[in-house]
Amino acid sequence: MSQPLLEVRELSRRFGGLLAVDRVSFAVQPGEIFGLIGPNGAGKTTLFNLISGVTPPSSGAVLWRGEPITGQPPHRLNRLGLARTFQNLRLFEGLSVLENVLVALQRRPRSSAAGGLLNSAGHRRAERQRLQAAWQLLEELGLTALAERQAGTLAYGDRRRLEMARALATGPSLLLLDEPAAGLNPAEKDQLCQLIGGLRQRHQLTVIIIEHHVPLLMRLCDRMAVLDFGVRIALGTPEEVRRDPQVIEAYLGTGGHAS
Amino acid sequence: MIDNGLLVQMLIGALLGLSVYLPLAAGQLSLATPAFYAVGGTLAALLSTRWSALGATADGGFPVPSLLLEMALGGLLAGLLALLVGRLVLRLQGIYLAIATIALVEIVRVAILNLPFTGGAVGIFAIPQPFATAAGYLLPALALLAVAGWLCQRLERMPLGRAMAAIRDDELAARCMGIDTTRVKLSAFVLSAVLAGSTGALAAHFLNTWNARQGSFDASITTLAFVILGGSRTWLGPVVGGLLLTALPELLRPVGDVRLVLFGLVILLGPVLAPQGLITPALLERLGGWGLRSATDRKTEEAQP
Repeated sequence: MSQPLLEVRELSRRFGGLLAVDRVSFAVQPGEIFGLIGPNGAGKTTLFNLISGVTPPSSGAVLWRGEPITGQPPHRLNRLGLARTFQNLRLFEGLSVLENVLVALQRRPRSSAAGGLLNSAGHRRAERQRLQAAWQLLEELGLTALAERQAGTLAYGDRRRLEMARALATGPSLLLLDEPAAGLNPAEKDQLCQLIGGLRQRHQLTVIIIEHHVPLLMRLCDRMAVLDFGVRIALGTPEEVRRDPQVIEAYLGTGGHAS
Repeated sequence: MIDNGLLVQMLIGALLGLSVYLPLAAGQLSLATPAFYAVGGTLAALLSTRWSALGATADGGFPVPSLLLEMALGGLLAGLLALLVGRLVLRLQGIYLAIATIALVEIVRVAILNLPFTGGAVGIFAIPQPFATAAGYLLPALALLAVAGWLCQRLERMPLGRAMAAIRDDELAARCMGIDTTRVKLSAFVLSAVLAGSTGALAAHFLNTWNARQGSFDASITTLAFVILGGSRTWLGPVVGGLLLTALPELLRPVGDVRLVLFGLVILLGPVLAPQGLITPALLERLGGWGLRSATDRKTEEAQP
């Protein structure tokens, strides 16, 4: 097996008396779409927060291409190539759709503050490149027509796509998607599925996705892990996971019918 | 009614409004502006009265280049102080940052009051005058305001300014988008201090005397009122707020003591009637945006495929 892009080793996080994430380990290979499922409160979002540096882990390690990155601040991790979306949507609501993406394009390319103040040729070139990249991303996610709208005024599905556009704008190799299908109708869920597949192709992405909607995950993921009360109870291909008796018990409910 | 002296005071108000606006544009409620203003003013007062190389004449005159040098030095000293203090206080958020910056204002005030060379409660007198009349101060004040306005306008089209706006909306999301929020907040804080420090240096000469009361908690609140009344979503807001609220008590002078009540009413009713402030981006849009529209709007039209 090749070097994993991201590896999580014995990662734990305690909040007071609650062990939200309990010695979770898994590795994600480059190019994979990796699913994380589990009942509400299983620790999925906490795990994302640990990986993206938002919350420091209580113990354990996160490795990026084999190098330890545990405890680094979020902006450092983002610059390494790790981007995320948020379950409860955290757009820059006062900014326009285009500006939301431009904020994330800060460093692509970089330009100096002095150049920016003097509006130097280098700065103008960098701004043009950023704008071009921003428009391209908006196009790709079907947001072109909304570019001038204030992000806070968007419909729910558009916000979800803008979150993805913004995360992609940072040029990640690994994209963490926290419940991207939440609140979408079945048709939108289908579109999202295709979109994520397409984005992986075009941006050479590795994706970790948290999702409640099991059929969608089964279709989309190469492999998946199941969390229950902070513990990883299963890991494998969707087919393997679906047949795992522990998963059926904990997540799908006894009787074994996926929703 | 509005004489040149008042005009200069109004411009100083606008400059201090911008100084409060800059950190606020990055979501940081800093009330430290009067501290940096006091630092710049005290430095200028000391230099011009004690350091003869700057060229103060016996009849109280003062060369203009020396004034500009003092404004630069005042900004520099205030900026350095902000760099040191900012690293500590910018870890605080919201109201806690406000309280810490009020403490800074108090520390600076008490220091100026008690240092052996700042003249105690009386302060420093007979600060030499680069201009014979108040009208002379209009030009440097306007020039400084122009530079500050140009800076704010440029920021909107730069990564730094966009990062500030992003932090104001959602700091955590900004961090996850690769923005070094500590650095961006510190930059805004230092810019704010430099502006206040330079303004202080100019004001010390204009006022002719300088003492510890120039940078007080009262001034923290007054300058914050500039931004709240004017609006904090575009840099023109604090400029308008600073101009208006500085002029108002003087314009109301004919009505006697009631003027302070009226002044208070304006500050009270302003946020009620115009919660976003008098100047909002939407208003500017409606005014036809004579070059004041954010650059992205215009550039996007060019770059759109």
